[in-house]
Amino acid sequence: MSDVNEPSDVEPDHEHDHHHEGPGYATPQAAIEEGEREELAYVMSLYVGTDVDAPDFVSVVDLDPDSDTYCEIVDRIELPNRGDELHHFGWNACSSSCHMEGLERRHLIVPGQRSSRIHVIDAKDRRNPELETVIEPEEVFEYDLSAPHTVHCIPDGEILISMLGDADGELPGGFLELNDDFEIEGRWEPPGEIEMNYDYWYQPRQNVMVSSEWAAPKTYYPGFDLEDVEAGNYGQRLHFWDWEAGTVEQTIDLGEEGLIPLEVRFLHTPESTHGFVGAALSSNIFHFWRDGESGEYRAEKVIDFESREHDDWDMPVPALPTDILISMDDRYLFGSNWLHGEVWMYDISDPSNPRRADSLSVGGTFGEVQEVQNRELSAGPQMIQLSLDGERLYWTTSLFSSWDEQFYPEEGERGSVMLKADVDPRKGTMELDEDFLVDWGECPEGPARAHEIRWPDGDCTSDVWQ
Amino acid sequence: MVSQRHDVTLEWPDADRETRTIAVDEDETVLEAAERSGIALPFGCRTGACGTCTGRLLEADGAEPTAADDERTVDVDGAFSYRRSPRALKDRHRTAGYVLLCIASPRTDCRLAVGANVHTELVENPWK
Repeated sequence: MSDVNEPSDVEPDHEHDHHHEGPGYATPQAAIEEGEREELAYVMSLYVGTDVDAPDFVSVVDLDPDSDTYCEIVDRIELPNRGDELHHFGWNACSSSCHMEGLERRHLIVPGQRSSRIHVIDAKDRRNPELETVIEPEEVFEYDLSAPHTVHCIPDGEILISMLGDADGELPGGFLELNDDFEIEGRWEPPGEIEMNYDYWYQPRQNVMVSSEWAAPKTYYPGFDLEDVEAGNYGQRLHFWDWEAGTVEQTIDLGEEGLIPLEVRFLHTPESTHGFVGAALSSNIFHFWRDGESGEYRAEKVIDFESREHDDWDMPVPALPTDILISMDDRYLFGSNWLHGEVWMYDISDPSNPRRADSLSVGGTFGEVQEVQNRELSAGPQMIQLSLDGERLYWTTSLFSSWDEQFYPEEGERGSVMLKADVDPRKGTMELDEDFLVDWGECPEGPARAHEIRWPDGDCTSDVWQ
Repeated sequence: MVSQRHDVTLEWPDADRETRTIAVDEDETVLEAAERSGIALPFGCRTGACGTCTGRLLEADGAEPTAADDERTVDVDGAFSYRRSPRALKDRHRTAGYVLLCIASPRTDCRLAVGANVHTELVENPWK
């Protein structure tokens, strides 16, 4: 069923005499001013790769400090199959569809990274969402695609999913498009535009999309192998697309300093052509922007995290910045160094010259804080999410089940946690909130991992403005 | 014609679980037979790309691997037939006796190490 309740009689106005009729907020600033404090979080929770005989699930976490069940998983949407590896997910609609009268931000699109199964969850009742539709892997494989990753709604109510491999888990990847009835519409792009795929972000007012590169599913699924790095099996490129045509206009090779470019974010301001990408393996952050004179995109390394020596490791430990996000006011870039155990914030008022504002040393290999409320932390900060007002930063600790097993084997035994820092955007500081802890170690079937986080009414890693 | 069946013994190393023996048809995979028998084995893609279901061959048709860790006399490619290419395994893994149970059907009676711990043997922390 469609989330477009009635046919819209309002023509989308791309010239931006903005009629705000549909889901989301008219502007990023409106999201900050009108958005309420997050009281619930949806969190990807998983058992794949363990001997726990249970399917992955979506956790509903209570974030209301006045609630009796604050910091508890208050509902779990169990999926019908085991083996999915829930990873990233998204809404059927976001602020990019705010001209679509009758469209609601109501359905969560929840792909299985390993299974290639795509679930549609009806979250009309925010506290008790229900599974509505399942697109089975065989339907996805028909389009010679597998390994669904990033989900964004696209401005007319349709849904686009980056797919990391072909039906066999090899290259090339591509993009799968769903219609507003949650049926596969087809491949969004002409096949063969890219080889590797991972995350993407679009800036419709600038008619641009940017996509990044992990590797072929068969390469990263079993775990991280240096042999694959030497063989050139991991990505290091950014692709800039003509958004309307769905074709790659420019590819930037980031080189060795840009190995494994993962999360990629444009600033929220729809006029902006500036953005950032984290190169996880090289432990660098790149700034990219459109050069006004040539009209071409440029990319430059602006943050470099040094490897650190550790007595128990044979080689210097890389930081591994695995997630980044930009605050809704475009002032701060936040990120997580999963191996070092660090959450950081940089002032990006001048995006070419990020200024380190603050960081927290927690969990991971070097974290100064290794337990919260006597709960030992098993891994470093990983997926992060920020409140709309930029005052609360939350994170989970699982990266990917097989990679967790390599670097933090205790994560599977103890389960993940969700932690929180209070952020002062005016002073540019963060403080760990030691009263906050959500523990996936206590799930009924056994310890589970926790990955991506979303708010019911839009967040810094899913909302786009047209 | 009824397809041939083989006894496949499943053992969970480092886990407190009872060893189980199941009969697996030559035209079904070990994972399918385990599911039919109500036994949970880890799996992910079911297409041979992800390695989540990896098992390790311990004994085939009475022949055991030699004592040396990397040199096994058991011919893993003779013991199993694959439905499609086992993409998640590198040559070094196949030589060492690793098998993708989501796409592998037995050609002989055998004994397998199974469970999530086997998959973690495929790759190690390269910096440690």
